[in-house]
Amino acid sequence: MNVDFAVLERTGAVAGGIIVGVVAFYALYKDWSTPGVENHVFKLMLLLLGFGAILAILAGINVLGNFPKVA
Amino acid sequence: MSIESAQMTHAGGIAGHIHPEPQGFVRRYVFSIDHKIIGIQYIITAFVFFMLSGLLAETIRTQLLNANGGFVSPETYNEVYSVHGSAMVWLVVIPLLTGGFGNLIFPLQIGARDVAFPWLNMLSFWIFPVAGLMLFSSFLMGAPTAGWTEYPPVSLQGSAGTSMWAAAIFLVGVSSTLTGINFVVTLVKMRAPGMTFTRMPLFCWGQFATAPLLMIATTALAAALAALFMERVFGVPFYDPTKGGSPVLWQHMFWFYSHPAVYIMILPAFGIISEVLPTFARKPIFGYKLIAFSSMAIALAGFMVWAHHMFTSGLAPYLQLPFMILTFAIGIPTGIKIFSWTATLWGGKIHLTSAMLFAIGFIALFTCGGITGIFLAAVPYDLDVHGTYFVVAHFHYVLVGGSLMGVFAGMYYWFPKMSGRLLNETLGKIHFWLFFIGFNGTFLPMHWLGIEGMPRWVATYDPQFEFWNRFASVSSYVMGIGILVFFVNVLWSIRAGKKSGPNPWNGRTLEWMIPSPPHYYNFKNIPTVYGLPYDFSHPLPYTGLEEELTDAPPALAAGAH
Amino acid sequence: MAVASIAHGSAHGDGADQLYVETRELRLQGFLLFLVSDCVLFSSFIFAYLYLRNSGQGWPPPGIKRLDVAFAAWNSVLLFGSGATMHYALENWKHGNFMKYMWMLIFTIILGAGFLGGQAYEYTHLIVAEHVSWWGSGIFGASFFTLTGMHGFHVFVGVCYLTVLLLQSAAGVYTGQKYFGITAGTLYWHFVDVIWVVLFSIFYLI
Repeated sequence: MNVDFAVLERTGAVAGGIIVGVVAFYALYKDWSTPGVENHVFKLMLLLLGFGAILAILAGINVLGNFPKVA
Repeated sequence: MSIESAQMTHAGGIAGHIHPEPQGFVRRYVFSIDHKIIGIQYIITAFVFFMLSGLLAETIRTQLLNANGGFVSPETYNEVYSVHGSAMVWLVVIPLLTGGFGNLIFPLQIGARDVAFPWLNMLSFWIFPVAGLMLFSSFLMGAPTAGWTEYPPVSLQGSAGTSMWAAAIFLVGVSSTLTGINFVVTLVKMRAPGMTFTRMPLFCWGQFATAPLLMIATTALAAALAALFMERVFGVPFYDPTKGGSPVLWQHMFWFYSHPAVYIMILPAFGIISEVLPTFARKPIFGYKLIAFSSMAIALAGFMVWAHHMFTSGLAPYLQLPFMILTFAIGIPTGIKIFSWTATLWGGKIHLTSAMLFAIGFIALFTCGGITGIFLAAVPYDLDVHGTYFVVAHFHYVLVGGSLMGVFAGMYYWFPKMSGRLLNETLGKIHFWLFFIGFNGTFLPMHWLGIEGMPRWVATYDPQFEFWNRFASVSSYVMGIGILVFFVNVLWSIRAGKKSGPNPWNGRTLEWMIPSPPHYYNFKNIPTVYGLPYDFSHPLPYTGLEEELTDAPPALAAGAH
Repeated sequence: MAVASIAHGSAHGDGADQLYVETRELRLQGFLLFLVSDCVLFSSFIFAYLYLRNSGQGWPPPGIKRLDVAFAAWNSVLLFGSGATMHYALENWKHGNFMKYMWMLIFTIILGAGFLGGQAYEYTHLIVAEHVSWWGSGIFGASFFTLTGMHGFHVFVGVCYLTVLLLQSAAGVYTGQKYFGITAGTLYWHFVDVIWVVLFSIFYLI
C-alpha cells in the first residue's frame, strides 16, 4: 500500500514539476526585458521557482534525497 | 478627488503633499503621526528609561564601594546589571539616536513633509514604551541575571523574568525594524528636488547607514530571542547542550545582531557630531564624501566581524584570524572620520558652546574607546582581558563617551528646534564638566582594574581593587549630578529659556531655514537644493524658502484638499 | 512607475493620479524592504538549523527516521504551482482580463490551501506514527517544526490575504492603475514559494 502511495506521489511530483518548471521558465523568458524594480524581483522569483521545480523533479525521480533507509 | 486618493492623503506621506493638521490634544500629541512629535515622544520616553537605568548604574557602583559588597544581595546585583545593560542599549541609546533624533531631524534636513509611512511610525513608537515597561516589570518576577547578552545556559536557568526580557527585546526589535524600513524609504524616495545623495547633510548619511542595520540585523536578533523564548517556555531545544542544542549558537546569532547594533548606536552620533562641528567651527566639514562613505563602509563591515566577541568560546583558530583582521580594518573608516573632524576644527573660528564642548569631548573619548577596541580585537590580548573590567571600560567609553555625548551634543544643538527655546548655556557647561570629569573618573580606572584581572559581573571582589573601585563609584556620583543638572536645565529652559528664533546657531542645513518649532507641514514650499550645506561664506544653496518665515499660507500641493 | 504606465496607458494627468503613483512607489519599496527583513528572519533560523545539524551527532539524529521525500516533493509542487498561477493572475490583471485573473487567484488559493493540508497531514503523520514532537525530539524536532511551522504560518497568512484580495477584487476595490494590493500579494506569495525552495532542499534533499 505504502509503496503505491510513494509511486503516486513521485509521479505527481515529476509531472507537476515539469509543468511548473516549463511555465516558470516560459514566463521568465516572456518577462525578460520588463523594467522596474518589482519586475526584477518577479524575475528573480520566477528563476528560483523554476529551480524549485527542477529540484522537485529530481527528488521525484530519486536522484536527490535518495538515501538508504535508516532503521 | 476620488475616495481612494482621499484615503491616500491620510496614509501616504508624499514629499510635496500637505496633510490636514489633526485637531485635539490626543491626535496631536499622544497618538500623533507627525514625525517631529514622534521624535520628541521617543526622546522623552528614552530619557525616562535613562533615569531608571541610571539609578541601576548607581546601584551597581554603590554595591562596589566595598570589596565585600553589602548594598544589595548578589542575586539582586545580577538582576541590576543585567537590566541596566539591556535598558541602556535597547531603551535608551538606540531609541534616542534613531527614533528620537532620526525622526525629529532628518525629514527636515532632506526637505520632506513627513516620513514615508507616518502611521507605521506611530506604531513603531508605541511599541517601544510597552516593551520598556515589560523589561522593567521583569523585576517583579525575578529579572534576568545573565547580563545584557543573556548567554545560555545561564539564561535558560534564569527566573521567569528572562522570558519577559526576551519578549520585551523582541518587541523593541519589531519597533526598530519598522523604523528602519520607514527611514530607508524616506531617505531614498522623499528628498527635496536637487538634494542628491552627495548633497545630503551628514546626519542624514548617519541615518542612511543605520537604517538598513536596524532593518536587517534586528531581525536576526528576533530569531535568536524567539528561539530562547520557545526554549524557555515550551522546552524546544535550541541552546541546551543536554538535549543536543548548542549554547554557542546563541552567541553567534546574538552577536550577528549585536555587533551591527554597536554601529546602530554610534553611526547616528557620528552624524550629529558632523553637524555640530562645522556649525560651531564656522568652516566646511573636511572630507564630506569620506565621512559619508566611511559610515557606509562601517555599516557593511559591521556584519562581518561578530565572532570577535567569541574568541574565548572555542572558535577555531583559522576563524579567529580573519575576524581579528577585519575588526582591525574597521579602524580605518573610523580613523578617517576622527581625522576629518579634527581637520574641520583646524583653523576654524571655534565657538565653545555646550553643544560644541560635547562634540569635542566626543572626539576625545570616542578615540580612547576606539583604541581599546583595537586592543580587544587582537586575539592574544582579548584572551587575557576577556570578561574583565577592561571590556567594561572599553564599551562605556564608546557608548557613554561616544553615543551619549553625541546625544547631549544633539540635545543642546537641536533643543531650540524642538521647543523654540535655548537650553541654558551656563548650566550646560556645568553639565559638561561634571559629566566629563565624572565619566573619566569612573571608567578610566576600570582599564587598569581589568588589566590587573578584576572580573565583570561580580558582586564582591578582591580587596586589592578596593581603592580604584571607590574612586570610580565616587566619580560616578559626580557624573550622576551632571546628568541631574541636565534634567534641571531642560525642565527650566522649556518654560523660561531664552527664545531662540528660527536659527540661533547660524546653521545652514534645511531645518534652520524654518520657524522653531516648525509648522505641522514643515515647509510652506518644498525648497530646491543646489549644493552642500557646509560651504560657509557662500550664499545658501537653496531656493524656494522666501516665504518660510513670513505669514504667507503654505502652498497646497497638487491633489490636496 | 513602470508597471503602472505600461499596463493602462498614460495617467489622466491630474494631481490625484500623480499622488497615487508616488504613494505606490513608497509602498512598493517599503514592502520589498519588509520582505528583505523577513528573509533575514528565515535565514537566521536556517543558519541555526544548519549549525545544529553540523554539531556532530549525524543527521537525522539517532532514533529518528528520514523525512518522506516523495510526499514532500509532491506537496512542494502544489506550492510551486500556486506561484505560477499567481504570476499569471497578476499578468492577466495587467492585461485587463478580469475573469482570468479571478480564476487564477482562485487556483492559487486552492493550491496554497492544498499545500497547508499536505503539511498538516505530514505533521500528523510525524507526531502520531513516528512520535516526533516539537519539544521532545531534540534539535531535529525543534528545527524542523520551527522552520516549517513558521513557513506554514506565512502560507496561512498568504492564503488569508489572497482570499481577502479575491473578495476585494469582486467588490471592485482595485481599478485601473490602482492595484498595489495585488502586486504586494504577488510579491508576498512568490517570497513564500521561494523560501520553500530553500526549506525543501535543506530538510529533504541534503
